[in-house]
Amino acid sequence: MKETSTEKETYKAPRTAVEIAGVRFKNPVLTASGTFGYGLEFANLMDLNSIGGIVVKGLSMTPIKGNSPPRIYETASGMLNAIGWQNIGATEFVAKKLPALRNYNTNIIVNIVGFELDDYLEVTRFLNDCPGISALELNISCPNVKKGGFHFNKNPKDTFTITAETKKASRRLPLWVKLSPNVTDIREFATACQDAGADAISVINTFVGMAIDVEKRRPRLRFLTGGLSGPAIKPMALRMVWEACRTVKIPVIGVGGIASAEDALEFLIAGARAVQIGTANFYQPDVSQRVALGLQEYCRSHKIDDINEIIGSLRTYE
Amino acid sequence: MLDKKVKVKDIRDLGERNYLLTVNTPEQARLVRPGQFIMLKCVEKVDENPILRRPFTIFNIHRNKRSGKPAGLELLVKDVGVGTRKLTQVRPGQMLDCLGPQGRGFQVSAEMRNRTELACLVAGGVGIAPLYLLAQSLLVQNVKLILFYGGARVADLVLREYFERLGIEIVYTTEDGSFGERGVVTQPVVRFLTANNRRNIRVYACGPWGMMKAVHKLSVEANVQCEVSLEARMGCSLGACLGCVVQTRDHLGEEHYLRVCQDGPVMSSRLIDWDTVPL
Repeated sequence: MKETSTEKETYKAPRTAVEIAGVRFKNPVLTASGTFGYGLEFANLMDLNSIGGIVVKGLSMTPIKGNSPPRIYETASGMLNAIGWQNIGATEFVAKKLPALRNYNTNIIVNIVGFELDDYLEVTRFLNDCPGISALELNISCPNVKKGGFHFNKNPKDTFTITAETKKASRRLPLWVKLSPNVTDIREFATACQDAGADAISVINTFVGMAIDVEKRRPRLRFLTGGLSGPAIKPMALRMVWEACRTVKIPVIGVGGIASAEDALEFLIAGARAVQIGTANFYQPDVSQRVALGLQEYCRSHKIDDINEIIGSLRTYE
Repeated sequence: MLDKKVKVKDIRDLGERNYLLTVNTPEQARLVRPGQFIMLKCVEKVDENPILRRPFTIFNIHRNKRSGKPAGLELLVKDVGVGTRKLTQVRPGQMLDCLGPQGRGFQVSAEMRNRTELACLVAGGVGIAPLYLLAQSLLVQNVKLILFYGGARVADLVLREYFERLGIEIVYTTEDGSFGERGVVTQPVVRFLTANNRRNIRVYACGPWGMMKAVHKLSVEANVQCEVSLEARMGCSLGACLGCVVQTRDHLGEEHYLRVCQDGPVMSSRLIDWDTVPL
């Protein structure tokens, strides 16, 4: 009996909490926007309290209808999507989804979308006054809309402007900016966000891709092109996260093809403060909970007291 | 809805790239309502391609031979692509991820026997899949039913024996005339709806888009209710990815994209905008 109690006293669970712009996350595992709905869809399949945060589906002030189907197509170790921002609108989200989400002990981050700068500002001002939201994620990297969206991620000056303006509008909430990988040099965009006052950046959104039905000679997606996600993009995402982490001082959140604790660890070691899990939620609905548990297990087995010791700990060859 | 590892019990080749797959999963089998589906991983390992699961309508509840209790699910699988091809290569004893049962099924209720004199089931090829459980539950409600089952060739008319055992009236059609009436399945449906135009009929259809569109039009002309079971490529099946939508029109004429996975797969045919032809 005595031995057992001594063990208990000396045993300390590894600390897995991280902080991003003053917000504490119980662990660095989040779910990526567009892959986890409004969170509640997964409530029966995993413990939503087990993860650091949920980034909900991109929201505009008023509902958006979205693109014509077919909208998705599976490719080798990944998938293409061209959903086109279909969402219920911020008002309905706050009225119908947010109250239920508040019952969970996790951070809610709202991804915001818009066709014009004013759209972003309007939804930002609205959400800024809503209790239960921990941060906003500015989506300027969606490849699946013809207007707005990716437009602001084509040159660093535009990225700077929209980030600076949205930051002014989001008085209370930290602002993250989700960046596109479809650029020549992600570092320029990361720097633009930092200079404009962004609190963090999410690196990356999907790669523009395409697939063709050779029998019909038709594109697999009605939109023609779509965003590629899933394990196929992980090495490229990791490289961009690494580049961004070496360039800016604000926290970088790693996104792209993460499907296991090992994948998540790669991003953390490369310097990401947290990670978002996307496409894997579709084929393993409780994957984020498993990853959170796996990170804890890694810390324990490697005798790491605090997960922050891992972040940015890559040992490069000199 | 449950997410389970289920064991393959049996896979039977029905010809013409059709298979009847039986998986053991008593807990999920107990929850099934007619018209619902499950998402099944086509390979054993979670990180193996294809990564996304595939949706399959539940054809039948497999029951324990002695106790008669639900023991598993019978699924009609047609090899139409990379995922389904791998699935048809599974062997008994293999374990697959299975999520469900889920989705909005057919509207069958106890009051139906008072309102519905006749149920008209229309299937095109593997569109037969959701109709067996439906037929069973209609019979339980004492609703008289007739099945119209069409295909290109006789080999497409799989699992006929299940329906024949129910002792219901069945009209078969094949486009090549190899079995039943020569032509498309909507021909005898027209005759049936015309001959019974004074009766209270409900139509249930599943098959290719063009067939369901035609059956919908006939139902509107005959002024009878029609439910269709839709098919779509799905990402998550949970209503999160919005990949499986179909264009609909509400009573105000406003267009919406509804999710086949959660707002369907069974929908009133009058909701659907049939002029949006999926590629």
